[in-house]
Order: sequence, then C-alpha cells, then structure tokens
Amino acid sequence: MHLRGLMLLFLLLSSQALFARPDGKALYIEKCAACHQFAGGGGIGLPLSAEKFRDYSDDYLFKTIRLGRPGRIMPAFEDMSDAQVQSIIAFLRTRTQTRERVYDTSPLNGDAGHGRVLYTRNCIACHAEDGLGAGQGTGVTLSRKRSFLVMPAAIANPGFQQAATDRMIRQIITVGRESSGMPAWGKQLSEKDIDDLVAYVRVLGKQVPKRPELAEDEPPSHVYESPYDFETTVANIKATLVGNNFRIFPDRFLEQGVTDEFEVNRKQIGVRFCNFNELYGMLKIEPRLGVVLPCRVTIMERPDGKVILVVPNLRVISRWFNNDQLVELWDHMEETFNEIIEEATL
Amino acid sequence: MIGSIRLLFLALLLFTGQALADQMLMARINMKADLAIEYLKTAVDEHGYAVAHIQKCDSGLGGFGFHSDTYRVLFIGKLAEIRDISAKHPEFVAYLPLKIVVEAEKGETVMVAVDPLTFNRYYPNDQEMQIQFQRWRNDILSIFNDVHKAAGGAVALGTHPD
Repeated sequence: MHLRGLMLLFLLLSSQALFARPDGKALYIEKCAACHQFAGGGGIGLPLSAEKFRDYSDDYLFKTIRLGRPGRIMPAFEDMSDAQVQSIIAFLRTRTQTRERVYDTSPLNGDAGHGRVLYTRNCIACHAEDGLGAGQGTGVTLSRKRSFLVMPAAIANPGFQQAATDRMIRQIITVGRESSGMPAWGKQLSEKDIDDLVAYVRVLGKQVPKRPELAEDEPPSHVYESPYDFETTVANIKATLVGNNFRIFPDRFLEQGVTDEFEVNRKQIGVRFCNFNELYGMLKIEPRLGVVLPCRVTIMERPDGKVILVVPNLRVISRWFNNDQLVELWDHMEETFNEIIEEATL
Repeated sequence: MIGSIRLLFLALLLFTGQALADQMLMARINMKADLAIEYLKTAVDEHGYAVAHIQKCDSGLGGFGFHSDTYRVLFIGKLAEIRDISAKHPEFVAYLPLKIVVEAEKGETVMVAVDPLTFNRYYPNDQEMQIQFQRWRNDILSIFNDVHKAAGGAVALGTHPD
C-alpha cells in the first residue's frame, strides 16, 4: 500500500512536469541539437540559419517539426505537445533573431505546364527530376565537403509539401539561398514564371512514389538451422562470404570482452564481414549507420546440439533511420544475405 | 505487488517518455571525440557494462572523400544479460552486444545508439524483455548524460563546421 502511494505520487509529479511551461531551449537541446547542433550550424541535420528563418512562417516550422520529412532522416515529433513545439520555435526565433513571416494561405494559380519547362531548365540539376533532391545523404557531416553545406531540398517530400504554403515557396524561389548556392530567381524570372514553378512543385508533390512498406509480421532477425556441425558451418559461411567479395574480420565470440577467455562460450561466434566500397557508400547516405555495423552472422551451437545462424533483418533495420535511400539499398542487400546463408547451409 | 510493479513500469515510461519520433538515441557534446571516448568508457563501466570491443571505422574514410576525424563503434554488454538472452531469445543475439557510435564533428562529438524500445513491438507479451529494453534505454541515456556532465555540461556552442 505504501509503495502504491509512492508510485501515485511519482505519477502526479510526472504529470505536473508535463503541464509546466515548456522550456524551448532545453527542448531544443534534448530533441534537436544532436542533429542540428546547438547554434544551428547543422550536422546530421541541416543548418538552421537566420537566412532561412527570415522566410519561414511559424506554421511552416510547426508542421515541419510535427511531420518531419518522411524518408529524409528528420523524424516526425508527434509526442510533443503543441506548447512544447511552439516553445522550440520561439527559442529558434530568438536565437536566429528573426521574426515570423506571415503568408496568405490561399493557393497560387500558376501554369504547371510552363512551370515544368522552367523547372527542367533551371532547377532539375539540384532538386532532381522527381523533386526529391539530387545526390546522396543529408546535412553537413561526413558525406559532404564542409564547404558545401546543404543537400538540395527535397521539395516534393510530403513533409515539405504539407508544411509550406504556395506563397512561402514563391518567396524562397524569389530570394534564393545564398548559403547553399540557390540563385535568387526573382532577378531572372518574372512573378508569373515563379508562380508557374510553384504550380509544378505541387505537381511533383503528387507524383512522389509510395514509400516501400514493411509487413507487420516482419521479424527483426532471421534464424536458420544448419545441417552441418558448428565448425563446418563457420567454415562454410566464411568461404561463401569471401566468394561474395566480402572481407572477413577476425572472429569474435559473442561473450568476448565481457568475460575472461576461460569463461567465454566458444560455441557462439560472430563472423563479421564488410565490403568497404559499399560501407563507405552507405555512410555517405546514413552517417549513423555504425549503430548496426559491422555486418555479422552469429553462429551458435544450442544445448541440444543444433547449430543455428542468426542474421539481422536488414529490411527492418534500414527503416529505423527514416532514410529511403538506405531502405532501397538494404532491401537489395537483404537478398544477398539470404543467398549467402542459403549457399552456406545447402 | 505485481500491480505496484506495473505502476512503476508505467511511471518510468512516463518519466523517461522521450521522443519515439526516431529509433535513435543521440547526444551531442562539446568535447573532442578522443577525450569523449575515454569518458564514455568510464561511464559505461560505472553503469555495470563491459566495453567488449571498440571498432575503428575511420581509417579508410578519408580516402573515400569523407571529412570525419573519428568514427568508432563501442560494443558494450553484461555477461549475465548476454547469456540469459542468448538462451531464451537466440534470435536477439543479432543485436548483442549493444553498440554506441562515436562520431567526431570537429571539436564536438555525437554519440548515437539504437533506442532499445524499438524492439518492444517484437515482444508485445514479454514483460521481461520489455523491462530489459527500458533498462537499457535508461542506462544509455544516463551514460550519455554522464559524458555530457564530464564535458562540463555545456552545450556545443560552435557555428558552422568549416
């Protein structure tokens, strides 16, 4: 009874914390700074500069935080209250020393056909034919030269499409982005041309292919039973991996490093492998990938003598990063993994 | 008693109810990576985990046009947990030991780990595993917090990395 009372008190205190006035700075540090850096210089996430914020409405920022950018690393922060999101925006306004730019929300009536011609001529090199941005990766870290700060925006991304009003897109096209090399098209195109471009940006938003879904019952790993004994299975896996152009690292027992060499279970081994060309290509796309590296097949002899192989399900893992480029690559790699296991356990 | 434990579990979920917006736990600290790794190793040890292995991933990055000074993966674990889980849930060994990535961003360091609560959905009726995932999550966040405190608790105030 006493314990129950304490628990209720703890819950009450927690709920009071939920209703307290949110601290935008603290929330920014907790939720955003790891990717965007405290000063907004960017890292895994894009820079949050005053140059950009001058053109943003608070509604755009609110929806961007809420919706994120599906498939483009920035997650959707659905768990925060409206007040918490607004407090982050208020903090960012103070830090960038900008004021909200308020836009008329009525749509523009541009000619998307003509917009397409202009887009093909002026925008396609950076924003790509599908409007999802040319090149790989995002942010300023690892994958990019430091002198080139941002990936071109994925203007067809559903998160951007829902957050940005027509008139905000028009403003951005008009004034450009000096820091990321986007010209101020208002100096080269007429107002009508820019309205036509906005109309085509909306068309691109409707053409975005559906993101590849994962079945509800997809398991986080695959377990295979080997018809061979432990040592033969390990040897088979290594031979198959080498045959598939993977480099093999020295074996590590599952318990190695967490106990001494006499205690370690030698019938649980991780065969670790890598193809460095592919690895570095993947790190360009997803700098956080190390949390699931290196690739490994764990081979274990069970107490009943059965030998099993356990491999992570790459289709599941790739979806943890909200990064569609990685999903596409790893869906393909999952097939390679399955073929390797099948070959080694034939 | 079981009711109280359930209530405690609920309270913990509320208290640590950080964003499940993403499946990653991340922290940025204002400290160079080589020093951050040392503090990280100490914090890991103080939380009862062993650093099983440190994988160096940056030696070839420069040759591929990357611009990161340091990229390491720390493998951490507890023997009892690894033995228990590999016996009861062999399918989960693919994710053991746990991993923490340490990535240098000039004078700052970013630490990343998979949020263990990501695995809850695969064990919807297994309270033991769900408590384990919550414990790992709390420990990882506490480890990150310790390294953050070791860096003086100051947030990274730099501007654009050049």
